Amino acid sequence: MSNLPTTIALGILTLLSVTATIIAWRSLRPSQQGKASHRVTMSLLGTVTTGSAVLFVIRWWAGGRWAPLDAHVDGLLLIAALLGVLTLFLRSRAHLPGLTTFALPLISFVLLWGICASQWTFHGFHIISVWSSLHLASVYVGTALFVIAAVAGVMYLYAERRLRSHSGAMPAQRVGSLEAIEKLIIRTSAIGFALLTVALITGFVMWSTEAQKLAPGWWYSRKIVLALVAWLIYAVVMNVRHTTAFRGSRAAWLSIIGLVLLLGVWMVSVSLPLTAAPAGLKSPTPAGTAYARRESP
Amino acid sequence: MRVLMLGMNHRTAPVELRERLALSGAALDDAIDRFRALYPLCEFVALSTCNRTEFYLARPVHEPPSFAELTDFLVALHGVDRGVLQAATIHRENDQAVAQLFRVACGLESMVLGEPQILGQVKRAYEQAALRQAVGPVLHRVFQQAIALAKQVRHSTGIDHGRVSVGSVACDFARQIFQRFDDKTVLAIGAGEMAKLTLRHLAKLRPGKLWLTNRTLARATALAQQLGLTADLGGARSFDDLDNLLIEADIVLTSTAAVEPIITARQFKRLLRRRRSRPLFIVDIAVPRDVEPEVGTLSNIYLYNIDDLQRVVAQTHEDRTGQVEQANAMVLQAMRACMTEIQNRDIGKLIRALRQKLHDVGEAELQRTTRKLAALSQAQLQAALPELLEEHTHRVLNKILHLPLSQLDRSAADPERSGLGFHAAALRRLFALEEEGNLQEGVGSRETEVRSQEAEVSSQRRKA
Repeated sequence: MSNLPTTIALGILTLLSVTATIIAWRSLRPSQQGKASHRVTMSLLGTVTTGSAVLFVIRWWAGGRWAPLDAHVDGLLLIAALLGVLTLFLRSRAHLPGLTTFALPLISFVLLWGICASQWTFHGFHIISVWSSLHLASVYVGTALFVIAAVAGVMYLYAERRLRSHSGAMPAQRVGSLEAIEKLIIRTSAIGFALLTVALITGFVMWSTEAQKLAPGWWYSRKIVLALVAWLIYAVVMNVRHTTAFRGSRAAWLSIIGLVLLLGVWMVSVSLPLTAAPAGLKSPTPAGTAYARRESP
Repeated sequence: MRVLMLGMNHRTAPVELRERLALSGAALDDAIDRFRALYPLCEFVALSTCNRTEFYLARPVHEPPSFAELTDFLVALHGVDRGVLQAATIHRENDQAVAQLFRVACGLESMVLGEPQILGQVKRAYEQAALRQAVGPVLHRVFQQAIALAKQVRHSTGIDHGRVSVGSVACDFARQIFQRFDDKTVLAIGAGEMAKLTLRHLAKLRPGKLWLTNRTLARATALAQQLGLTADLGGARSFDDLDNLLIEADIVLTSTAAVEPIITARQFKRLLRRRRSRPLFIVDIAVPRDVEPEVGTLSNIYLYNIDDLQRVVAQTHEDRTGQVEQANAMVLQAMRACMTEIQNRDIGKLIRALRQKLHDVGEAELQRTTRKLAALSQAQLQAALPELLEEHTHRVLNKILHLPLSQLDRSAADPERSGLGFHAAALRRLFALEEEGNLQEGVGSRETEVRSQEAEVSSQRRKA
């Protein structure tokens, strides 16, 4: 599929998302009544979510392939759609009125990133096995959940700060109670962690099936090490939360740090040289792996 | 129709009198029935709350009751001294009565400005009166508009936003920290009056457990009984058990008279680990404070003292006062619209009645003339027809004009009291007659003309 229509569609969605973000943040001010602006925000978020999902499906259908993820821009569209769906769902079910306000900037950011990935930094995938498809899906869906966890982390820190300032403003009416936000952090982190584990396992399966292409020191390449570190941190945090480490503002900070770490892993993996073998790989990235690049159409 | 209001409220009557005049349940039904029996043409709604007892009624313009009769009704109903009652009551009429109801429903007349309970009370009063067939088209309209307006005012101005008591502010803060309370434990340290008031609010959150502790255990036990705490919901615990209670609690309310803090940061740090980082909300409403301020800096501890809570209360009052002007403007606009509607409805009825009356006059005269015509032969008819038609016209005209012109009673000693000027002006306006300067003369000449016509018709009738 040509990338120009995708870029234009993404541009429109980004504009809508940014508009919704501005309205949502304005309604967070104590002086605002916010019912009308809330309706507008939710309508815009619904439009952006539907638009992202439709664009994702159209690209899949136009590509005429069995796997939905053809390029990084598809992954970003998937993340934006998932973030929108999760936000709308959690907003209605979990007494978290502020989730929209905090999730919208990230949705806007993901869509903006999608424009770059579609127009200037196109990064295509060559998926030839179920493993690579599963790997990519778990990475993207898991990342969407970690984004929600990080958004909830920011919400928690914001609400806690307002509470500690004794300002008299009532953030819970506009954001949500600390307990509800904490539950969201823990649940999304837990599911995200499970998906991260799936991503790691499928990643290892992919590499092991192509062992001949791996250099002797592949297992300590930057990508592998960082991915393992991120996974280990989450593993520790998720398993010790019952012993109080993953509570309150600590959970909030850890969810934000976790996302930053994941983004770090991603940046390292995409910044590996194209022609030279990345640390641990014998030869230039083979077409069979998930991260082989191809020219933008 | 005329809308009247007679009543009293927290501004005009002391609580003792308000208590005596309060009506609820069967007493209210009885009052409505008695009123309806006395004044069956009236529409009637009695609004009775702890802060006000107000009667709203709509009656035909020239029908009873007057305000004096309404006061008599109240005296008879409650057996209260008439003088005391008159001194404490307020009465309003038409637009002022409607505006009063609108302001009451919006919470603008409440002791706590903008409080939301009054709207429910207005609704219940209206429904109860409607159930007893005491509400007619006018009060239906007025009360439905009052309820709609109250919702609109609250929505547009946010006058009911915020909290107005320390207890409710504490509950709001608790809701910002916790999502649910059925698995939470509330601990109250101290058993004074403030603790009791605040605990009543916290108890509304329905916490899983509510423990009370006090240096004198008996006082804590007594308070637990007053709050109706059963064994499965909590109860009184010894003050020596304070550390364990602090570990167990999610919400702590302190209100002791201790001169030194009873919860120190040093003491609390020891307990934090055993609390497993669970958030703790501490409301310290004691002066001097029961909890060291440093406790509030510990992780997952949210400490609020009486000043913090009262600041929110003061802010709410300030915010609500700022909304009053906007709410008043909305009330005024709605009142005008409502009164116009009531008046239009009255005018509609008046026009229908007038048309019917004139139609009856015309019909009666037509029958009379038809009878006369039937009695005549063809030859007589030819000759008498113009005269008969003229007589018919004069009779119809006279009958129609007789009542309005009889209001121009020029022989009255006091023209103002007789309404001469008013009626003359009305006639001039209704029939597009000459300027005021020629009024007396004009009216007089018209009257003379009509009378001469009447005399002429009578003489012709006699001749016939």
